[in-house]
Amino acid sequence: MQNKPLVEVKKLQKNYGDTEVLKEIDGTVMPGQVICVIGPSGSGKSTFLRCLNMLEKPTAGQVLFEGKDTSKFSEEELTTLRERMGMVFQSFNLFPNLTVLDNLKLAPIRVKKMSDKEAEDKALSLLKRVGLEEKANVYPSSLSGGQAQRVAIARALAMDPEMLLFDEPTSALDPEMVGEVLAVMKELAEDGMTMVVVTHEMGFAREVANEVWFMADGYILEKNKPNEMFEHPQNPRTKDFISKIINS
Amino acid sequence: MKAKGKNILLTIVTLCLSLFVLFTVQPTHHTTAYAADDSLQKIKDRGKIVMATSPDYPPYEFQVSKNGKSRIVGMDVDIMKQVAKDLGVKLEIKSMSYDSVLVAVETGKADVAMSGINPTAKRRQSVDFSEIYYNGGQSFLINKTDVGKYKNKAALAHKKIGAQTGTLQYNLAKSKIPGATVKGMDKNTDLVLALKTHKIDALGIETPSAEAYVKNDHDLAMIKSGYHLNKNETGSAMAFKKGSGTLAAAVNKSIDKIKAKHMTTQYLADAGKYMKVNTTNTSMIHYWTYFAKGIEYTLLISAISVIFGVLLGTILALMRFSKSKLLHAISVAYVEFVRGTPLMVQVMFVYFGVGIIVNLPALLSGIIAVSLNSGAYVEEIIRGGINSVDKGQTEASASLGLAKSDTMRFVVLPQALKNIWPALGNEFVSLVKESSIVSIIGVTDLIYQLNIVRADTYRGVMPVFVAMCIYFVMTFILTRVLNYFEGRMKHAK
Ligand SMILES: Nc1ncnc2c1ncn2[C@@H]1O[C@H](COP(=O)(O)OP(=O)(O)O)[C@@H](O)[C@H]1O
Ligand SMILES: [Mg+2]
Repeated sequence: MQNKPLVEVKKLQKNYGDTEVLKEIDGTVMPGQVICVIGPSGSGKSTFLRCLNMLEKPTAGQVLFEGKDTSKFSEEELTTLRERMGMVFQSFNLFPNLTVLDNLKLAPIRVKKMSDKEAEDKALSLLKRVGLEEKANVYPSSLSGGQAQRVAIARALAMDPEMLLFDEPTSALDPEMVGEVLAVMKELAEDGMTMVVVTHEMGFAREVANEVWFMADGYILEKNKPNEMFEHPQNPRTKDFISKIINS
Repeated sequence: MKAKGKNILLTIVTLCLSLFVLFTVQPTHHTTAYAADDSLQKIKDRGKIVMATSPDYPPYEFQVSKNGKSRIVGMDVDIMKQVAKDLGVKLEIKSMSYDSVLVAVETGKADVAMSGINPTAKRRQSVDFSEIYYNGGQSFLINKTDVGKYKNKAALAHKKIGAQTGTLQYNLAKSKIPGATVKGMDKNTDLVLALKTHKIDALGIETPSAEAYVKNDHDLAMIKSGYHLNKNETGSAMAFKKGSGTLAAAVNKSIDKIKAKHMTTQYLADAGKYMKVNTTNTSMIHYWTYFAKGIEYTLLISAISVIFGVLLGTILALMRFSKSKLLHAISVAYVEFVRGTPLMVQVMFVYFGVGIIVNLPALLSGIIAVSLNSGAYVEEIIRGGINSVDKGQTEASASLGLAKSDTMRFVVLPQALKNIWPALGNEFVSLVKESSIVSIIGVTDLIYQLNIVRADTYRGVMPVFVAMCIYFVMTFILTRVLNYFEGRMKHAK
């Protein structure tokens, strides 16, 4: 593992009008690290992820990518940032007007200026990697939830990102499909992908994550190794939350 | 603070639009006030004189069909032909609604308006008139069953009298018949229908027209009005744009000749012959070419307008979503303005108003006006469609590094268009109905043809009924076709 952080978050604050969603967030993501973010609904986990790739502009504080302040990025640098930091959403957000193959090809062709052929080869090999090459020419509406999420991961990978953000990637799935998606994510982690994953899948966190962050009330109240976090939570809020997800 | 700034910008853009409107109308006054009178010379240079008329007023002017081709005939047309011959130029006839003929000369769309117009003092304020070329006298049409009841004007006191709105007959009935209720309508064909269905007791009308109706409809009778009138106001005259002295003088010379030789007697007799030929077969099937042409134009105007409406609407919607406050404000102001004014006024503005700068033919003006109007409504539909696309789509696209314009083009718009397909279909269907308004500037759409057939056949209801059925069949078929494609689009996804 290199010793320079890929992402540093410093005193990050985000307000929507009068509501302070993120009050003060600090954190560091090293290359190759897998961070799981947990916390009650409405605690600002999605907002935090969206500040990392600048889908939301922070109100105060900084997000540094390779030491550079992302809030000062030009349009071009923003594009590069998003090329290098992919995102996977809870509700997949595949483009329903495009086939699976075209979902994967669109960004490489339009953003990376890849040739059609090159983009197609890449898309097909990625679909193979997530086990869905036979779905290349169907529209997203005919996919199951698990398949759709694997396509969404492949779509993010088509840009060759160094880092991936996952916002509750398995929460919208039927239980029997959670495994196939987690398996793909686990493989990615093993291949060295840097990942920030909002998830309540404790098995995945224990097995894959280097660190677990617990978020509540706009702060990160606790950071720890997965086993420590789940077995010996320090903060009373963390204790309370973890007992709830274990018993649910 | 932000909202306030937006409002100010909006106000400015709206003001600019209004100023543009004022600016385009202004030149008429200047040119009329200061330009030298080259009215006659211009026509001679051009080799053509343009006459505006509303051909639903037999025997003055009306449309007849011969071998499937329709043309405008009548006493006015014959007189004007003689005038053109005397001037040594060709004659071009532009047909439009009666309301529009005077505006047409004021705005230079035509050189002369001739449509059985009475040169009232009020009209003299806005146009110049020739001498009176014909004085037919005033009469009343009544139902034949009432002949015993209404023997003269005095018997009409406290009765319901009909007359064309804005005409001499209307004013006379109001001022000279004690206690009468005067009912105004746009067209004599509608008034005759009102008479026959006893909604009015008598109809004030010029004697030659009354004679034409009585000859062609055996349920009608006529009585002479017995008004004592100033001959200078009650006859028919041609109207010119103010300051057309040289043209008026030349035309008056021809009129003097026509009067001296009593040529109008022959013209009226000829018109009568057309009317005879014309009314032997008043079945609607006999007029199918009229209706067919009307359908063709109605569909043409609607189809072209919906295409341009969608293009314009898309541009306006994108402007509204654009970061530029100016573009946003222009789009908002445009939509507000167009939605806040009637289509009829817009049609007339494009034809007459913009016509001062560029001379647009009626059909093109109609298409432009309807497209501009439709664009505003389509903008709202498209905006709704864009808003209906899940925000997650835009986010996913942005998270891949796609530019805003690419996101719009490849992700949002295709989905928006699919969502709004039914609404766009409805817009097309409603255009088929609403484009009927272009008939007022003489575009030969279904409504226009319907009025021609009514004037031609002296049948009030049947042509309306036929047109109603045609409109229904058109919109019904269109709706089915659109539903079919909508279904196919759903399966295709
Ligand atoms: N665009 C927005 N405008 C206003 N409030 C928002 C917006 N997005 C999120 N919020 C609010 O911010 C809070 C945190 O939301 P979110 O980050 O989605 O939480 P989590 O992902 O942890 O459930 C919630 O109270 C939510 O209502
Ligand atoms: Mg969330």
